[in-house]
Amino acid sequence: MKTLFIILALVTLSFTGFSNEAYQKAMSHSIEQLYQAKSIAEYVEVANQFERISNNEKTEWLPLYYASFAYIMISFQEPENAKKDTYLDQAQKYLDQAMVIEPNESELYLLQGFLYPSRMNINPMNRGIVYIGKMTASLDKALELNPDNPRIYYLRATMTFHTPEAYGGGAAKALPLYQMADEKFRIFKPKTELSPNWGKEINEAELKKLQEAQKQ
Amino acid sequence: MKTFYLLLSLQLIISGAIAQVKFTGRVTDQKKITLSGANIFFQNSYDGATADSLGNFRFKTNLKGKQTLKATFIGYKPLLKQVNMDSAKTITLDLVLQESNDQIDEVVINAGSFEASDEKKAVILRMMDVATTPSAQGDIFGALCTLPGVEKVGEDGRVFVRGGESYETKAFLDGMNVSSPYLSKMPDLPTRGRFSPLLFSGTLFSTGAYSAEYGQALSGIVDMKTNSIETEDKSSVSIMTVGVMGSTTKCWKRASLSLMGDYVTTGLSNLINKQQVEWIKNPSGIDGTLMYRQKAGKTGMFKVFGTFNNSGSGLNYMNTQSGVFQNIILNSSDVYLNNTYNSMLGEKWMIKSGLAINYDLQKFDLDKDQIATTNQTVQAKVGLNRFLNEQTELKFGADWVHSSYEQKIRMGGDYRLPFTNNQLSAFAEMEYKLSKKFATRLGVRAENSSLLNGTTLVPRFSGAYKTGDHSQLSLAYGQFYQNPEDDYLKFAPQLKPEKANHTVMTWQYLTDLKTFRVEGYLKKYTDLVKYIKPLATDPLDYSNTGSGHAEGIDFFWRDKETFKQTDYWISYSWINARRNYKDFPTAAVPTFVSEHNFSLVYKRFFESVRTFASVTFSFASNRPYHDPNLQGFMNSRTQPYNDISLSLTYLMEILGKPSVLHLMVNNLAGFDNIYGYNFSNTPNAAGHYDSTPIKSPYVRQIMLLISIQL
Repeated sequence: MKTLFIILALVTLSFTGFSNEAYQKAMSHSIEQLYQAKSIAEYVEVANQFERISNNEKTEWLPLYYASFAYIMISFQEPENAKKDTYLDQAQKYLDQAMVIEPNESELYLLQGFLYPSRMNINPMNRGIVYIGKMTASLDKALELNPDNPRIYYLRATMTFHTPEAYGGGAAKALPLYQMADEKFRIFKPKTELSPNWGKEINEAELKKLQEAQKQ
Repeated sequence: MKTFYLLLSLQLIISGAIAQVKFTGRVTDQKKITLSGANIFFQNSYDGATADSLGNFRFKTNLKGKQTLKATFIGYKPLLKQVNMDSAKTITLDLVLQESNDQIDEVVINAGSFEASDEKKAVILRMMDVATTPSAQGDIFGALCTLPGVEKVGEDGRVFVRGGESYETKAFLDGMNVSSPYLSKMPDLPTRGRFSPLLFSGTLFSTGAYSAEYGQALSGIVDMKTNSIETEDKSSVSIMTVGVMGSTTKCWKRASLSLMGDYVTTGLSNLINKQQVEWIKNPSGIDGTLMYRQKAGKTGMFKVFGTFNNSGSGLNYMNTQSGVFQNIILNSSDVYLNNTYNSMLGEKWMIKSGLAINYDLQKFDLDKDQIATTNQTVQAKVGLNRFLNEQTELKFGADWVHSSYEQKIRMGGDYRLPFTNNQLSAFAEMEYKLSKKFATRLGVRAENSSLLNGTTLVPRFSGAYKTGDHSQLSLAYGQFYQNPEDDYLKFAPQLKPEKANHTVMTWQYLTDLKTFRVEGYLKKYTDLVKYIKPLATDPLDYSNTGSGHAEGIDFFWRDKETFKQTDYWISYSWINARRNYKDFPTAAVPTFVSEHNFSLVYKRFFESVRTFASVTFSFASNRPYHDPNLQGFMNSRTQPYNDISLSLTYLMEILGKPSVLHLMVNNLAGFDNIYGYNFSNTPNAAGHYDSTPIKSPYVRQIMLLISIQL
């Protein structure tokens, strides 16, 4: 009888262990795919995988985070403005669900700060004022929750780079921000293997471009 | 024992592998369109697949027994399906998803209305478009005058909709009445709206057949939606050739407070811009606005909007009717306070409530005489929305308006003309979406006035049908009552409300970048106020025996695509209108109606010079006037009206702060527009009635503004 209990306990353990392992495996596989995705179809494929995982792991915010991220990336590739908005609506939906699970996560506010300018780019003339304010507020909140999150510095540098010089932006002002983001990326350690860890390469590339432009 | 379990588990694994089920199938919508990218998966596992470009999917799973299969796709309702896994090794399923109704391309009930919104998607204008229309000079109502269905009435400045007088178009702020939306008006000179367009995130402008939620307007409504909660602290100051302006916003976690103030004086401006009238006191005024927003609970929002205005001006006015020059001094004060609270009550109910208070005083000093008019209104409104299901929404509400009016006249004696009215209204409306393509709205409105001592009940109907991916056809009908103007009620409180019927038919094509819209309408007026002579004091000189009609076609075209960084829109309206009202001896075209109205608004951003340029061209065909020197009634016509206005906005930096330099020029080409003529009441020695033309106060107007974000 005792043996039976032990075996039962072991079986149960191994099951939960298995489930967790399956989650880890499915997530790391999908995250890898996400970072390699190029076309809309590939992003949709991986967003669907995150939706499936999220459907079973109701207390995890990461699958929703990545699903949202994937839809923001899709919106960049989509040429039609009305569809862009639809994709961003979907991204916002996932992000809102994630915020309910984890209301105090710097990465979620950061993603919100990434989503707003995507909305703005669809119609900068009309949406600019509203979304720049919202983006700033989201990034401020992300910074408050985790001052070491390097993606905040990267997004701020990008925002500055794309702001006209007349409004306090431009390459010259963006350069030190990219440098600071670079430093932050160098010392950044993601909380877990599955935690967000994107932006380093693109930040380096932007930084290099600016530095080379300065030399000339 | 141990071996037994090991064996058992081994067997489980093996049998599991053997029992793997293969799933294949295709995902489409009801119209058999393949849904490439749909997600098909089992509720209790990660097993699933994405539909390929042909809508096909295939995947394997180890699940057993009865399982729930789920299919999802953006814009469609999730599909759940029970599948028995024990039945076969390969299961083929064709899945059909239903479109969800919350998509942007669904049908929208919109006959008769133009919506400007920063929040909604399928709208024709954004608030920025309103703020940057040059001929509007930063006035919301001025911007509405570039839309079809609105007459250009240069000497008035208010909104005249489809053969209706300006009082027939009512203004609302967050659904609450604004009883004096315009600044006080000097005779024959244009006025403008009280509120800056920057305070609003949306405007609903309806030129006919509007919802039962709105009443007491015969021709049109303008409902302005104030900004939501602010998320960023900010301040700005502006210096203009006509005064100074400042604003500041402070945000908290769940609340925000904005304060704005300005001092306007036209002294300098009237020197720069040659005036065609003689000011004895240059128009000047002081304004203050407060906006407080507070989130309440999960879905609640409490808004306070308060504003005050104090202004004065003086004019040496040629009163042609009596043949003398008069010194007119106008002083006015206005306070408006608007509180609203909106919230969801559970999942299915929504409450919208509000309380508004308006105090308005206008004092005219005419040489030694004085006319002081006080208008006070209090309004309380409650509305409930009930979401019965995804297709059906029920709206109902009630609203109470108390208004008290008093005019004090000192003219060789003291006279008082006071009256009060309690207006009680109720409305109910049901919106039903039969499908994504077809929607209807049915409503009724009941109104009771204590002063007019009567109750009215009117129906409203609206329907819309999608004729294509981006086009729709709409039809609307409604009956509308409005109490006669205060100027008549003060003498004749026995009058009944005036009445109008509207029938509107619209076809619209709308994409993100292009809009085309054509709208035809029929409008019929009955019970209009008629009187024996202007300013008759005997109540029996007034009656509800007037009538009128208007019919016309409005066109609107907007294109943001064809030309690079350019956005333009064109409005054209044709109208045929007659009225027999006031002291008209017979039905005639009223003086404010021009048969053809045309506007072109052109906006372009020149990136290399960081300048945003806008031009408006407006044209209105000739307007009738009555010349007592000739036979017949309304026997003469003015020259057509032309205007070209320009604005340039230059983005720059002052002391490291983002700033804007804004230049506006009205009537750039200096057209000498004549809006009509005033005639003397008595003929001169030669038996001729003398006249003076009614003109704009300036030939050309230039204004400069510098605004700095702090």
